[in-house]
Amino acid sequence: MRIPLEARIESAVCPGCACLCDDIDVTVVDGRVYQAANICLWGASKVLGHKRFHPKKERRRLAQPLIRHRGRWQTVSVDAAIDRTAEILIKARQPVVYGLTNAGCGAQAAALQVARQAQARLEPADLAWKAPYYQSLKKYGVFWATLEVIRDEADTLVFWGANPLHSCPRHVVRYSIFARGRFTERGYDERRLAAVDIHRTELADLVELFLQVEPGQELSLLQEVLTATAAAGGAVSKKARRLAAMLQEAHYGVIFFGRGVSYGPTPELLDGLAGLTARLNEHTPFVLFPLSTDFNAVGLYHLLLRELGSPLAPDFGAGEVSFHAEPLRWTDVDALLVVGADPFWFLSAAEIQDLHERRVPVVALSPVANRTTGHAEVVLPVALAGVETPELAYRMDGLPLSLPALLPASLPSDQQLLQQLAAALGCSHRGMACV
Amino acid sequence: MRLAIVGGRVFDPASGWDGQERDIYLADGRVVDFLPAVDQVINARGLAVTPAGLEIRSPVAGFGQNFLRLWGGLPSPAELGHTYALLGYTHVHEPCLTLPTANYVHQELAALPIVDTSASLAINLRDVDLWLQDPQKLADVGEAWAYLLESTRCLNLRVVEPFVKFRQDFYRYRALTEEVVVNRLLTIREQMRLPLTMEATPALLTLNLPVHPGLHLSGLGAALTDEALLDRALHLLATGLTADMGLLPPAPRPGFPSRPVQVDLGWFQPFDLLPELEPQVARRALRLAVQGKEWRLAFSVASLLSLPLSSFSQVFAWLGDAASRRRDWGDVQLEGTHSFTDWLRATRLLPAQYLGLTDRGHLQPGARGDVALYDLLGSDTWAKNCQRCRLLFKAGELVVHNYEVVQPHVAKATYYRRTQAVPNKLVADLCQYRSLRPENLQVRVQPHQHWQQVA
Repeated sequence: MRIPLEARIESAVCPGCACLCDDIDVTVVDGRVYQAANICLWGASKVLGHKRFHPKKERRRLAQPLIRHRGRWQTVSVDAAIDRTAEILIKARQPVVYGLTNAGCGAQAAALQVARQAQARLEPADLAWKAPYYQSLKKYGVFWATLEVIRDEADTLVFWGANPLHSCPRHVVRYSIFARGRFTERGYDERRLAAVDIHRTELADLVELFLQVEPGQELSLLQEVLTATAAAGGAVSKKARRLAAMLQEAHYGVIFFGRGVSYGPTPELLDGLAGLTARLNEHTPFVLFPLSTDFNAVGLYHLLLRELGSPLAPDFGAGEVSFHAEPLRWTDVDALLVVGADPFWFLSAAEIQDLHERRVPVVALSPVANRTTGHAEVVLPVALAGVETPELAYRMDGLPLSLPALLPASLPSDQQLLQQLAAALGCSHRGMACV
Repeated sequence: MRLAIVGGRVFDPASGWDGQERDIYLADGRVVDFLPAVDQVINARGLAVTPAGLEIRSPVAGFGQNFLRLWGGLPSPAELGHTYALLGYTHVHEPCLTLPTANYVHQELAALPIVDTSASLAINLRDVDLWLQDPQKLADVGEAWAYLLESTRCLNLRVVEPFVKFRQDFYRYRALTEEVVVNRLLTIREQMRLPLTMEATPALLTLNLPVHPGLHLSGLGAALTDEALLDRALHLLATGLTADMGLLPPAPRPGFPSRPVQVDLGWFQPFDLLPELEPQVARRALRLAVQGKEWRLAFSVASLLSLPLSSFSQVFAWLGDAASRRRDWGDVQLEGTHSFTDWLRATRLLPAQYLGLTDRGHLQPGARGDVALYDLLGSDTWAKNCQRCRLLFKAGELVVHNYEVVQPHVAKATYYRRTQAVPNKLVADLCQYRSLRPENLQVRVQPHQHWQQVA
């Protein structure tokens, strides 16, 4: 798509987080975003290219494909980098395609194709807390609502291990804490709010009930709340009783949970939260809602469900596909292709050391330099999805939105490169020369 | 490409052909009267030649269907498309697309290979309750719906809740009964000439519904909560009303999840994707399907989760074979059976008429060359015929040959109605209820999707 030198683009969709705010009005001058209205810091960091927490620091864009040779970077062609990547994946016994939560639907579908061709495992970046969530749905059933319905109807909101002010800033004004809905016209004044976290977050000043718990104590608090909501009753703490009372008095409630649940015993916590939601649902509509952070995390799970019938991590290595609910053990990986994620941010020093010692080759597709590209053997720079290339992404409630290109792209999209890689892998497996 | 399908026994309810040996000619993707010379001859001796099927009832792409895949009951879109083709279907209609989920549904429909697709726009009357109360504003409602019909790329309008009720007591004064709603909707239908479908509810069935061209009653089976309603439904059909229904199984499918799966889209009630099966309702639905064969009742199954595509021939056997019915339903007191032609009428001709696809569902000259050929195992056991399709042509192109899909990438399109309506103030108001701006509620045309307008 050709973008004129100076353009005003209205109602653009922001790829800053999974809210996918669709009211972003952007002015583009000389191929750069000059002005963006209605945008939060997260969105601005995407479209203006600065660091999330340091708006005055620009993120370093990658410009050329690189291959590490004897410890030094060499600039290569895209084809050479793709061939090297294909070689790495074919040689590996347990290759992993990792991330994809910050990639558009087209790139995700192409990555799934790569995983099939390379007989690799495809690991969503947030599997640690999404897999237990989907397993709990399977056990307790589903009551789902779109963000508009939540905004219009919900009068009680609980944030469990979630801080929307950090993970998806405009969520609080568009859909939850402050939002004025059709039947919640007084917004903040009309809602009852609670939050549970191991840290005192900004939510503490906004909610009626903030429960700060010690790490590892979330489960016992949840069990107390379950006891308090049970007809039989039992001995519970005052804070659990208050939270239970708030939930039981709701006319329409939502429990938003975030990445914070992954610090505790995640499967047990999600099982407890889903069980609590199912119990509350017998009397009042209640939704258990994962507060996805990355802009298209939900799209990846929809793709997996639609194509493979399971939201768990598919592994194409054993001839036929198998599925994993447990996050991968990094010690098992012998080749890593990273797309739309930066796993070296959260890997422990010991895990990184192990990957280095075992000389696990890492291939990174990324628009910007990050910790993963710093450890990679092959770096493939890509255009910014949803900013420089049009993409499709699923909002956190599962509604797809088209993201138009705001800026001209000088680099290929991650989708294009992954399709090229899938073709290269297909040719290699059949022993054909690629043309 | 000009081809002749010769020597087959042709079953086409629209033409009154009930197994006569005839030749069918296709040229440029359409049925023609006769061709003096052809490029290919298909020997159809011993085969039943029929129009291809149209699926109108089973939800395949609605919002929330992916949740059902958690239990492994719903195949992937690729498998669905292939299986429909192998059963002799070339068109799948999704009955539930809503304003906020339009893009979602079209994404899912686009993922179905081989078959053409379309959808009904389910309209939420709660959004327009104040307009419906004022007879002067009904034209505005019609205009807005006509605009939304085209902008969401749907074929027809569907009223899922033919009443206005609010969960909040405070809004009780804004409620509208079924009777008032039906009157208002018929006025709008008169003014706008929009095809309108109303979901059957027990309350709606008891009303004195007029026979109205363009008014269609949907989902009759699940509404039959007592015997009187079955009689009422048969009476309405006898007056000439068009309707469709989904067949239900006699008992829940083994391994079927017993947990609720509900999606709240802002209607009075959430959409229940896994409604609990009531055996008596299922029996009445079967009786309605059998007894309603004389009238304009199209059918399929109510849910692919409870009656998967692999069981279609067994389901159709309930209609055509009393022994199958006894085996699966026990001592169901039911006279009469469907003939092969009755079944074709209910799964081809009537669905095509209901969707307004005038060149589908029959084999008369001018019809699109969608032809399904089945092994003819016997007219008394016709349900076995439709277990699998021997050959399937879509727009004259061979898609299934010897029970295998040979052209998985055949061209497909999504059909929608062209209304040329312009947005009015009500459209702006409706969009205000959403968090999305109007332009992002419209269906975005993806380059890989092919759209086909219906006037």
